[in-house]
Amino acid sequence: MGRESRKGKRRRQARSGQQPPPVGASSEYRRNIGRADDILAKEGVEIRSDNWQQLALDWFAPQEPERGELARYIADHEQRLGTPWAQELLRLEVFFQAEDHAQIIAHYERAFPHYPRCALVEMWVADQVFRHAGDFWRARQMVRYAVDHLTGHAKPHYELGFMSYLLGDFAGALGWFNQAAERVAADNVEMGARILYNRGMVQYLVKGDEKAAIADVEEALRRKPDYPQAKETLRGLRGKVRWVPW
Amino acid sequence: MVDSRPTLTMESYWIPTKAAGERLFWMSLEFSLNRPLKQGQPSIVERALSSGCADETLLSLPAVVPPKIRKDARRLLQPWPDGRYTDAYRRSGGILNVFTPPWGEPQDEVWAKMVAGWESDTFADTQTRQEALRALENRWNTTPHPFFAGLTPAQVIVGGGPQETELADEFLKHLTPLYDGRPFESEGEALIKTLTLLRGWQSQPRKDGRMVLEIIVAERNELLARRARVLHELAGSR
Repeated sequence: MGRESRKGKRRRQARSGQQPPPVGASSEYRRNIGRADDILAKEGVEIRSDNWQQLALDWFAPQEPERGELARYIADHEQRLGTPWAQELLRLEVFFQAEDHAQIIAHYERAFPHYPRCALVEMWVADQVFRHAGDFWRARQMVRYAVDHLTGHAKPHYELGFMSYLLGDFAGALGWFNQAAERVAADNVEMGARILYNRGMVQYLVKGDEKAAIADVEEALRRKPDYPQAKETLRGLRGKVRWVPW
Repeated sequence: MVDSRPTLTMESYWIPTKAAGERLFWMSLEFSLNRPLKQGQPSIVERALSSGCADETLLSLPAVVPPKIRKDARRLLQPWPDGRYTDAYRRSGGILNVFTPPWGEPQDEVWAKMVAGWESDTFADTQTRQEALRALENRWNTTPHPFFAGLTPAQVIVGGGPQETELADEFLKHLTPLYDGRPFESEGEALIKTLTLLRGWQSQPRKDGRMVLEIIVAERNELLARRARVLHELAGSR
């Protein structure tokens, strides 16, 4: 199983200008904050009281359905957010673009406890906490929060499916993958293909339902033809081999 | 003449996290305590149950067994509580759970849901309310738990037997050459790769058509039945 990433155009820029090795976690953190602010300045970002909401939306959630969710969050908590919050959110986005996993977690821990919990931030940071820090249970708690607050979103449902699978709870995983499949947008190719592929595999494991597994893997390949893992699995399923590679 | 002196076998495995390494130690100890010292003889667990004294049983272990192991074994040989088997949170859970990051009551969504249901119920009196809680604890003990890879807490706390020992050895020998020395970007990546490999491995039917989970559950149920028999005989002899 893989995951969606938040890679983007700013990645190279954020990585440029390597600094000498840090002397400690705190100084490293502050140095990276400075770098993020430099990048934002180079991008011409000037956070003001009349544009902080727009910048937060454009940078952190440029597309639906996330944009709508963030707009709702901002509207609900407008008085407690403002320009300082927008600055922290934009810095976080820069760290995502730079794929600086440790800094994402450090920044989340330092900057965001001061603000109302944001399900979108939880959902994306949980990825880092889980896949990089390996803090499974903390990440699960964050994803559960995202599921409860982003009820129409496929990603947190998919993540709980994956986590259930890792725990060896295949029936639970199937339930979450089913919910993710109901929610994934038709144009979200990457997520849709992954959900269907994994649901097919878990259906096979839980119910021995070969037909359903083949249908899901075929649909995953229809959505994303360049999916080697799914191709290999489909060959295995059609070839009647008993072991299906994950 | 056959040399029947105790032997020490060393195995070296690749493990993704420190926590998994610690759990692996407990898993091996649980396996050892459930293994009969000689064929047809009771295991250390059964001997401790029969005598009612873990210390006495541990005295019969070969002198080569270090004090720390004896101390850890004593912990595992403690009598089970009448209520909820919360010690299951601290046990290894065997090969299906050995890599799962440690968790406890704060993470236990199943128990939280059960308690929430009990708290929202109305009862005739305090005694009925307490009886309902005891019934709930017993249900938790004996219901397959999604965070224990489908084992019940009772099956977790009883530990694994010889068949699971072989299965664990098979998986660890499969895992080690694949990942030993391989650079991982992070501990999270190593953990996820290991768990994915484990779940794939356990999903392969064995030669007899059974799944790994079936074999492990059957063996742990047999160990639970043997334990119940010993306790029953003990009660009858008093």
